[in-house]
Amino acid sequence: MYFDYYFVFNVTILLGNTMKILIAIGGREFSKPTLDLGMKIANSFKSSTTIAYVGKKISQFSEKDVSVVHQNLDDRELYRPGIRTLEWAYDFLISKNYIEEKDSNKFNDYLLVDEENSRMKVLLKGQQSDKIDLIMRTGEIIEQLKNEVETNKHDITIIGGGGNKGIHQKLVQFIDSSVFVVKNYSVNKKYRILLPINESKGSDMAIETAINFAKSYKLDVEIVSVPEGKKSIEKVEKILSKTKDKFLKNKIKASTKLISGSAVNSIVNHAKDDSIVILGVSPKNPIMKYFFGSKPLSIAQKCNCPVLITK
Amino acid sequence: MNESYKIISSSILFWFSQKKWFVYSIIISIFLLNLTTPVGLTVPAYHSLIILLLVFMLVTFEPIPFPAIALLTLVLQVVLGVAPPNVVASSFMNDAVLFVMGSLMFAIAIVHQGLDIRLAKLIIKIFGRSKRMFLAGLMTISAVLSSFLGEHTVIAIMLPIGLSVIKNIDTQQSDGKNAVLLTLFSIAYGTIIGSIGTPSGGARNVIMINYLQEFSNVHIDYLKWMKHAYPILIIQLIVAYFVLQLTFPSSLNNIKMRGFNKNVGKTDVKKNINHLFSCLIIVGIVSSWFAFNDIYGLGIIALAGALTFMIFGMISWEEINKNTNWGVILLFAATISLGFQINETGASSWLVMKFNELLATLPSNSMNVSWSIMAVLSGLTANFFTSSATVSLIGPMAIELHPTDISFALSSAIASGFSFLTVISSPTAMILYSTGLVSTKMFFRVGILMFCISIIILYLMSQFYWVTL
Repeated sequence: MYFDYYFVFNVTILLGNTMKILIAIGGREFSKPTLDLGMKIANSFKSSTTIAYVGKKISQFSEKDVSVVHQNLDDRELYRPGIRTLEWAYDFLISKNYIEEKDSNKFNDYLLVDEENSRMKVLLKGQQSDKIDLIMRTGEIIEQLKNEVETNKHDITIIGGGGNKGIHQKLVQFIDSSVFVVKNYSVNKKYRILLPINESKGSDMAIETAINFAKSYKLDVEIVSVPEGKKSIEKVEKILSKTKDKFLKNKIKASTKLISGSAVNSIVNHAKDDSIVILGVSPKNPIMKYFFGSKPLSIAQKCNCPVLITK
Repeated sequence: MNESYKIISSSILFWFSQKKWFVYSIIISIFLLNLTTPVGLTVPAYHSLIILLLVFMLVTFEPIPFPAIALLTLVLQVVLGVAPPNVVASSFMNDAVLFVMGSLMFAIAIVHQGLDIRLAKLIIKIFGRSKRMFLAGLMTISAVLSSFLGEHTVIAIMLPIGLSVIKNIDTQQSDGKNAVLLTLFSIAYGTIIGSIGTPSGGARNVIMINYLQEFSNVHIDYLKWMKHAYPILIIQLIVAYFVLQLTFPSSLNNIKMRGFNKNVGKTDVKKNINHLFSCLIIVGIVSSWFAFNDIYGLGIIALAGALTFMIFGMISWEEINKNTNWGVILLFAATISLGFQINETGASSWLVMKFNELLATLPSNSMNVSWSIMAVLSGLTANFFTSSATVSLIGPMAIELHPTDISFALSSAIASGFSFLTVISSPTAMILYSTGLVSTKMFFRVGILMFCISIIILYLMSQFYWVTL
């Protein structure tokens, strides 16, 4: 295990309050890496975590019928759809010691509480941890995750890299939190942070986040930049060196590299399987981003490794 | 960039991303409104067809809530001059709408009584000799009940039985996975097939009966419908059993026929009396549909069923109010109203005329070809648009094809019940999909064969059996 839990970075001091993390899970076999990495981040930052399963969108024709059937399943002590995924997540947390298993907090003793429209929370009797919530939402995934982030003010949304790539674009576009796309993550791999930067405000946020991550996990950092347009190479090198100093001040091993070519392709080619790419959100006009995309989005879509887009 | 500009543009974009089909539908409708009215169509008829297209798009993609689509349909009928306000209002409520309302409320009342465990025990008693017999029993009972009480009632009762039977099966093994799918599809196909059997099996049947009465002055009573549809139901059921057994071969070793929780299944005197009363009310309502549908109409009788449950305190109004899909009732009322206007304005006659002109260009133009196109079109539209809404909108055209020959109207309504292809086509399919155990691809893969066979059965029955009635 390469991640180090002994060093607990006090995010409270930096961010002024406890970090809130939302981990969106889907099918069991695909969500394991997402949940694994998400919980490592949550655990080291001592953040409060919500694990959300978004159930299938139901046609308006049948939504009441489906609701009656699900209620019936609850009454018959049969698991309603989605609960099995949350149960699997709960078992996973216990197996990794994120939750201590006791006789009083077995999942089969759960209560599903309707909290608001489309949101249900699993209340685990006797659960000692008040920092982990298991919730189930039903409906269109972007709308549900957006509502969840807006209501509970999550700082990071963590989601798997599979499925429809349009989902990631919409999440980055519409969700008011940083978005971590967990793609091709392996527990046994030694990761390093790849930090592409430029002069934008988004890069400043990415640098702050990369410092937090690197300190928490003792990860090496490679800072890269792609000179574009009329920008002189000297100017870019100056930015790189200034950023490297920030990491060195925090006793983080950092290196810099100037890469040439188109920004997206160069960074995608430079990123390896063992990279965690941390990027700032594009400062572009939201309308332009929606119709034509943005560089961070293209990088997140093309990279075959975990990518965090900070906001 | 200004922060408030970013927030506003982001909000507008999010609204657009969620409602884009509403924007597209409105743009297409405005474009069509600005075109010249086609030759042979009056302006109100042309406008009614534009509203029809708009409703098709909005219901298919669901960018706005159903009640909003219903209200938009009513408003547009008046604003675009399709019909005056009083005519729209009077076509908004009829026996078919009362039936939709009554059957939804009646279904909630029945499901609330918790008859499933008792029914499971009965199925085990009759069909419990082998697991394969048990699954055949689940399918048959689902079909018979669904034919009288409607899909949404029966799937809500039968699904917990099915899930209790398969709850501990390991779906990682192919044998176990097939056993799960076989059980779920047996219930679902039984329920879907059953809904064609009687007028009360589905709102689409009642809507078509209503249209036939209004447009062609042809009356079809409960028994007459059954005589036409029940033999199809029985043949389909036998075919479906073998199709499912071949599609999902399984030893069924892991199925537990008594898988339901015994504590939940325990009955006491109060429950027994409650169940007895429920059965009496159900039998009373079904008998009334048989005997008195000519006098009271199917809708009023369905409402009487829900009323009886409420009067005897077996369900509260709050429970019914909470679980009734009022949006669907409003939408059906609005689409039926539009269906009437499509017929009244002559839009359906024009469409049929164009359809016949198109048929005339085909090398073999016969009744069989027009029947086949109409039946397949009804079935396909229902699968991508839901069955009852399909009949309420294209029913007038099916009648107009051959106003004196009920086989066209009946075939259209029955084919609309072949919800085998998509999960949005019926409550049964959507509930099955919502379990997470059946994917849309799986549903289509199995359903395509059943759909084709069902159309062939319907064709053969209409050609060789209905003519003998």
